Amino acid sequence: MNTVQDAVPNTTLKPASSAVLSARGLTKRYGKQVAVDGIDFEIPAGRIVGLIGPNGSGKTTTLKAALGLIPFEGELSVLGLDPRTQRDALMKDVCFIADVTILPRWLRVKDAVDFVEGVHPRFDRSKAERYIANTRLKPGMKVKEMSKGMVVQLHLALVMAIDARLLVLDEPTLGLDILYRKQFYQHLLEDYFDEQKTIVITTHQVEEIEHILTDLLFIRDGKIALAASMEEIGQRYVEVMVPNEKAAAARALQPLDQRAMFGKSVMLFDTQRAGGLSRSQLEALGEVRHPSVADLFVATMKGSYA
Amino acid sequence: MNTMKWLIRRELWEHKGAFVYAPLAVAAALVLLLGGGFLYALATTGAFHFQANGQQVITIEGVPPEMYARAAAIAASSYLAITAPLFLVLPVVVFFYCLAALHDERRDRSILFWKSLPMSDQETVLSKAAVALVVAPLLTVAIGIATSLVLLVLGLLASAVKGVNLIAPVLANANFYLSPLYLLSFLPLYIVWALPTVGWLLLVSSWARSKVFLWAVGVPVIALALLAWFDFLVGRFSGLSLNVKWFGEEVVARMLGGLMPGIWFGEVNGRALAEQNAGLDGPMLIGLSYGTLASPAVWIAAAAGCAMIYGAIRLRRWRDEG
Repeated sequence: MNTVQDAVPNTTLKPASSAVLSARGLTKRYGKQVAVDGIDFEIPAGRIVGLIGPNGSGKTTTLKAALGLIPFEGELSVLGLDPRTQRDALMKDVCFIADVTILPRWLRVKDAVDFVEGVHPRFDRSKAERYIANTRLKPGMKVKEMSKGMVVQLHLALVMAIDARLLVLDEPTLGLDILYRKQFYQHLLEDYFDEQKTIVITTHQVEEIEHILTDLLFIRDGKIALAASMEEIGQRYVEVMVPNEKAAAARALQPLDQRAMFGKSVMLFDTQRAGGLSRSQLEALGEVRHPSVADLFVATMKGSYA
Repeated sequence: MNTMKWLIRRELWEHKGAFVYAPLAVAAALVLLLGGGFLYALATTGAFHFQANGQQVITIEGVPPEMYARAAAIAASSYLAITAPLFLVLPVVVFFYCLAALHDERRDRSILFWKSLPMSDQETVLSKAAVALVVAPLLTVAIGIATSLVLLVLGLLASAVKGVNLIAPVLANANFYLSPLYLLSFLPLYIVWALPTVGWLLLVSSWARSKVFLWAVGVPVIALALLAWFDFLVGRFSGLSLNVKWFGEEVVARMLGGLMPGIWFGEVNGRALAEQNAGLDGPMLIGLSYGTLASPAVWIAAAAGCAMIYGAIRLRRWRDEG
């Protein structure tokens, strides 16, 4: 079983209920196609988890199962509830943005705020209005009059003002420019997140969320390819800038991936690979540094489209 | 309950055009055409010509008192009938509303937004059924009553200026005040009759991936045609007869026609209706109409409607959109 939990000694207070999301043998088939293939994972409270995988790897299906949008096989518990049978109770504490969600064209900004305030007991109106004031949205504006990015801004403003225990963001920043994306992740970390909350994010722009993540879940062909905390990843994976004369020796240590850069080879090593590999061994080869999540992802997913 | 209130408001935001502006436009047309007609008659005809029993009565004094009373009685009891066109618009609007209600949100994927909020599928579907069965008819009734009053005032003023002052007798007639209540009292009956249609349309709306209208109308109509054809063949060879007429009247008509106000008059003895010569007799019409509830078929159809609404709730729960 891949456990994200307990990967790092928790420095902050540990919530009473350990797992916000836990899956055992979670499987989803579409006809003969297996979208999610018996995966196990556990996400404790107070984490920001990046669920990362290539297109069609089963990310969205996993999230939809957790949100009670599709039937599935196996066990899945979200905040202690079964999303298949207890969805109505679950949605009081969970909020999400699904990757293909579109706000209805006829909705006005002010009506949207009124509506969510009316139906959601954990909605903070002033917070939503603050986020909206930060954009070019006007209260009387209808969704059909907005640009794609403005629709996303409205949606994010609504969702960020909901004090949910679990927030699931499936490609939340699609269509947003870089300025707003940065600002959004900043808000997410500073305004929204706390130890009681858990956020699960999927995105293709991994480099932008790397610094806010506490945990990584790589998913490939419906299976978990890697589940670890960022600290664990920092200890386990090492990138080495190998000068050309040592390249052959380095290659003998079986790097996960290599690429050329400024006349040197940048090699990625897994220190926990079979056979073992010590940090000092790698330091002898050249300058050692932390790999980026994007590079790690590329190395892990090699051959996904082959 | 609070959620329900917001869900219904949500429907009205989305369908304001269909539920408010469409009847208002019809009402405005009625006021312009009929009200304008009264005023035109006022402006162009010099003397008052009251046609009574084929005799031209010119002077005011010449109008027999019993004619006065009868005209006032008709005006007081039937003034709402002038808004009949509004009640032809209502079923059309509600029919297409129900077809779109659970389909459009899947087509544009806004369903995922609604599902991200703490509202159950049950509440959502019931709010749409409530809009179709209660809110939309009430809006039409309200607009209808207001329009009728405007037209009645215009008509009374026009005839008063011409010398036939019916204002006092109309105001003194109890039916003038009771008519709106009579109209409203049809609502529960309307709901029972409309349930099978609303249920069927919502079910198709939550089930069909596309071409909702074709599914909703095509399935019952093709079933009826197939049955008629089959009946024809079987009848030729064996002399047996399937009850196609029964299927058409009890199934297809209830599935597709239940939104039509007054569809229940199809089951009412026609002679009683033809004898309305002093204006509409509200209590009698209500009595006749509610009498149709004695037939178990009405209740079976309404129960089927509820079952189909339940089916729509279940379908919405697990419909997977992309």
